[in-house]
Amino acid sequence: MDVEKADVLLLIGSNTADAHPIIANRMKKAAKKGLKIIVIDPRKISMTKSAEMHLPLKVGSDIALMNSMMNVIIENKWYNEDFVTQTALNFEELKQHVANYPPATAEVITGVPQEDIIEAARLYAQADRALICYTLGITEHHCGVNNVFDIANMALITGHIGREGTGIMPLRGQNNVQGAGDMGCLPNQLPGGIPLADEPYRNKIEKMWGREINPDVGKTQTGMLEKMEDGSMKALYVIGENPIVADVHQNHTTELFKKLDFLVVQDLFMTETALLADVVLPAKGWAEVEGTYTNTDRRIQRVRKAVPAPGNALDDWKILCGISERMGYPMDYDSAENIWNEVREVAPHLYGGMPYERLDRELSLQYPCPDEKHPGTALIHQELHAKGADRQTAPFTPVDYTAPVEMPDEEYPFTLTTGRRYEPYNTHTQTKYYPDTLKRKQFEETVDIHPVDAERLSLADGEYVRVSSRRGEVTVKTRVTEEVQPDLVFMSFHWNEVPTNVLTINEFDPISGTAEYKACAVKIEKLT
Amino acid sequence: MPVKNQIETTCGYCGTGCGLTIETEDDRIIRVRGNKSAPVNQGQTCIKGAFGYHYIHSEDRLTAPLIKKNGEFIKASWDEAMTFIANKLTQIKEQFSGDAFSMFACARATNEVNYVTQKFTRAVMGTNNIDGCNRT
Repeated sequence: MDVEKADVLLLIGSNTADAHPIIANRMKKAAKKGLKIIVIDPRKISMTKSAEMHLPLKVGSDIALMNSMMNVIIENKWYNEDFVTQTALNFEELKQHVANYPPATAEVITGVPQEDIIEAARLYAQADRALICYTLGITEHHCGVNNVFDIANMALITGHIGREGTGIMPLRGQNNVQGAGDMGCLPNQLPGGIPLADEPYRNKIEKMWGREINPDVGKTQTGMLEKMEDGSMKALYVIGENPIVADVHQNHTTELFKKLDFLVVQDLFMTETALLADVVLPAKGWAEVEGTYTNTDRRIQRVRKAVPAPGNALDDWKILCGISERMGYPMDYDSAENIWNEVREVAPHLYGGMPYERLDRELSLQYPCPDEKHPGTALIHQELHAKGADRQTAPFTPVDYTAPVEMPDEEYPFTLTTGRRYEPYNTHTQTKYYPDTLKRKQFEETVDIHPVDAERLSLADGEYVRVSSRRGEVTVKTRVTEEVQPDLVFMSFHWNEVPTNVLTINEFDPISGTAEYKACAVKIEKLT
Repeated sequence: MPVKNQIETTCGYCGTGCGLTIETEDDRIIRVRGNKSAPVNQGQTCIKGAFGYHYIHSEDRLTAPLIKKNGEFIKASWDEAMTFIANKLTQIKEQFSGDAFSMFACARATNEVNYVTQKFTRAVMGTNNIDGCNRT
């Protein structure tokens, strides 16, 4: 994360000031020193105050906008010809593809004036060093993977990757999203970030574990839910997650969980999901456990025990080891460090040089760090700039704009987009315990609505309304604000009194399985 | 005299990875502040990092394993709960195969917990049905 070294930052689908406040501070500080920030977001989020430009596109039109920017970049020969010739594959295909997105066409789809599309393209392409940061505004769409492909296309066409102050940076929402995936908590990936399909690597782990690993890729959460629906998924074990409140189409998710033969929930609190369980297990949490997290820029950092846990709460790993032993497979760890050393043996290419003792001393190390002399790796993808025999290539993946699955119509005339707010965290099971004396901006959910729409519906600021979709309805307070565009409303899912995810739609990206939290159609009615 | 301590750690909320210092008194957290030598945040914190720790000492915390019997949660010992789960999962695995089992892993737990979680899923249950909130 070297935003301080960039000249231009394309901030797309990231409400950084609310969701990643400390990263936002660094961006704002850099902006004061000359960083030009281009905010691409349907809402006038507070990052726009530090921005050179704000492109308030219509929800879900990111690909039309980025394709058009690349159209402009190619037309004006602003692309990095040397890099594209040497490194990128399929340029002709991309060129033909984005030819269908001239700025005039993109203006109609995105609602962004064409001169702004051209200027943003110029700023990004002509910068010496330009960086793209994105968050769930990119991925929580039925076309989330295509959105990410188009971001990669933008970085490749300009060569803004593999050098300091450039690159593509997904800002992770949870402290250990990166680490959970790297540890192999994905249906297609083994610990060490290596695909399950890599047979020699899989065999190596099988030998270490003394057990065979099923070679068939597993289900994503979405796929698991489908199997619950058809009755073939019998048991589910949930650790530290509250999917009943966090997942789309809540009423449907609840029905599916009730179909399970056996549900185990391991958590700190009796969450909405835990209430449905057959067994609930008390886990230790942050400040009660030892271990490591991997942050959004691949830093491994220690977490430490500060206080004892209440009652009989146990470390998550101790619980799993206890069950495992009773199922005939003892896992004899006596500490988190012990487990970490096994991780280092399984994946020395990433963590070989990171014993606890070194992490304690150096505070933070970025993987790959294969041996104890290795300083860690701040910058990846440098090989894309290598020449001659070391030359590496990367393909363009041209993609097309596809509208959100449920567009507004006469009956449901608003687009609802969902996201996070500054103070609460996710389903608020932890942040609801803020002390009463703590000064805060917001204490309950609101539906954020533009003044023009509020006036048309004769709604006063703070008035309670009914928001409904084809899947459910909630009663919620209005917040009249120009942060949203006309015809667009915004809600978060932090307060369980207003379960926003009864409204959202169960449509998913076919590759990632991520749901379209960012767009569904709703209507808003005055309470009588 | 109250027993005071300072512990350096990493924030457990978003993916930024801010270094924090926890101050405790008699086994309770009394203050959390930014760690000035941490590379990511250099001493800064947001509201969640600095004030989002009160849940830890809440009376609402789960303190014992609970097994649902006739629609009601009944307190159990760890041995009872672990044996109950092990028997039930063994039975499901034998009757329907490991692919009838799914694991929702936790992107807020440590690397160490996540490693053991996927090892349990793959080595014990024999399935790759493991995913998490990584995607949202």
